[in-house]
Amino acid sequence: MAEKVVITGMNIISSLGLDLETNWKNLVAGKSGVKPITLFDASKNVTRIAAEVSADFEELSKKYIKKRAGSQMTRVTRMCVTCAKEAVEMSGISFDQMDRTRCSVILGVVNSGNSSTEKETTTQNTIFKSMTNSLSAWISLEYQLMGPNFVVNTACASSAYAIGLGYEMIRSGQSDLVIVGGADSIINFEEIEGFNSLYALSVENDPPEKASKPFSKDRDGFVIGEGAGILILESEKSAKARNAVIHAEVAGYGFSSEGYNIMAPMKDGEGMALTMEKAIRDAGIYKEEVDYINAHGTSTELNDRYETMAIKRVFGDLAYRIPVSSSKSMIGHTIGAAGAIEGVITVLSIKNSILTPTINLDHPDPDLDLDYIPNQSREQEVNVALSNSFGFGGHNATIVFRKYAG
Amino acid sequence: MALITENTRKEVTDIVYNFFADECEVDIKDLHADTNIIKDIDGDSLMFLELIEIFKKKYTLEIELKTIGKYAVKHPVQTIGQLIDMQMLIIEHENKLLELDQ
Repeated sequence: MAEKVVITGMNIISSLGLDLETNWKNLVAGKSGVKPITLFDASKNVTRIAAEVSADFEELSKKYIKKRAGSQMTRVTRMCVTCAKEAVEMSGISFDQMDRTRCSVILGVVNSGNSSTEKETTTQNTIFKSMTNSLSAWISLEYQLMGPNFVVNTACASSAYAIGLGYEMIRSGQSDLVIVGGADSIINFEEIEGFNSLYALSVENDPPEKASKPFSKDRDGFVIGEGAGILILESEKSAKARNAVIHAEVAGYGFSSEGYNIMAPMKDGEGMALTMEKAIRDAGIYKEEVDYINAHGTSTELNDRYETMAIKRVFGDLAYRIPVSSSKSMIGHTIGAAGAIEGVITVLSIKNSILTPTINLDHPDPDLDLDYIPNQSREQEVNVALSNSFGFGGHNATIVFRKYAG
Repeated sequence: MALITENTRKEVTDIVYNFFADECEVDIKDLHADTNIIKDIDGDSLMFLELIEIFKKKYTLEIELKTIGKYAVKHPVQTIGQLIDMQMLIIEHENKLLELDQ
């Protein structure tokens, strides 16, 4: 029988906080982390806002990362390692008590963050900072883990893929524990200019906190965010053996490729629907069991329209009674980290029976008529939830999380 | 060949100790010749290369990295004392370092 996969630790670093508790409190309060860009001089960019992680992060990272190692990492890598350290602490694991050859690290990483905003780079550190695989490698090094350690890049679905792959490693009996997640920051001149040239970003710079407005009639693109999200996936057997606190379980996943367009999602959300169908089938659940969907919800014209159509295509009339919300309305689009950060938020929603809102939903799009949990969080029991992630290139992923019933 | 003076070894020792104290975030008083660079202070092999660069600049040394690499394979460095000894040989013999083994 396949191993049940449970979540025994998790953490988020985002524009709304440097730890899990602060993030959750601010998400439930419906706060926005979007502000004018401070990481570089954005005065020449069309978009001059982003959801930046607080500068206090560097002080926090010094608690976990030695100066020497820190100098060989980019800011994004330090974010990822710091996030992982706190997630591991939360899980209460002692790796000395584990078989390290059965402990793995899988991260979704789009880029290592070695951009023009990276400070104090030496020639000798350039290679380490450019290695996308360094993010998982540093975590593996930190705990001397000897199971597989690798990164996967499927654009904005990267860390959702990491969750699915980690789940598969445990389900198939290849690992007892997998640290999964991702980190990202593309808040730099070149990337913002690039996304602006694709008309993908919101250009409503003032007020910044109102710019990300998924499912709104007046949405005009996504807002770049940055951060890290980590989950500790563990076999139920391993978690029970060490009396770990189990926060929820991963019940299944769906991956698909659209084979359609390098940027635009497949018309009418056909690919997105296929992904959700696959995930539901993999988890062996009935559609009626789904209590909540944490949407990809980017605040772009096409994504929000097609994701809504996809949910209707999959769930039919049931779609109207399933609450759907977009965390990106508050923390922006954290790209490679999005799947993991939003996965953690979904787990917290299950654990705390609170659904986080889609903020800035003041002018609903009449064509988008689902329950998007507008502007205010909601208390609601959640047993099964989906988390959607869709990336440029047609990379789609849906993760199914479920309340752990023992 | 660089000119070795009485002060050279002290200079090299000071630079090496300060480098490790700073990079490894340890009290310089806790460092000694027998300190194992990797096991005791969590150092790494790249530090050796960085120190070579520092000394190449300081003493305007003519030595290729591959020469040092070949020598280090036969004379592995584990402690701070061994590293200082090797740096002294590098400064003294530069590209003729390998002739010491002949």
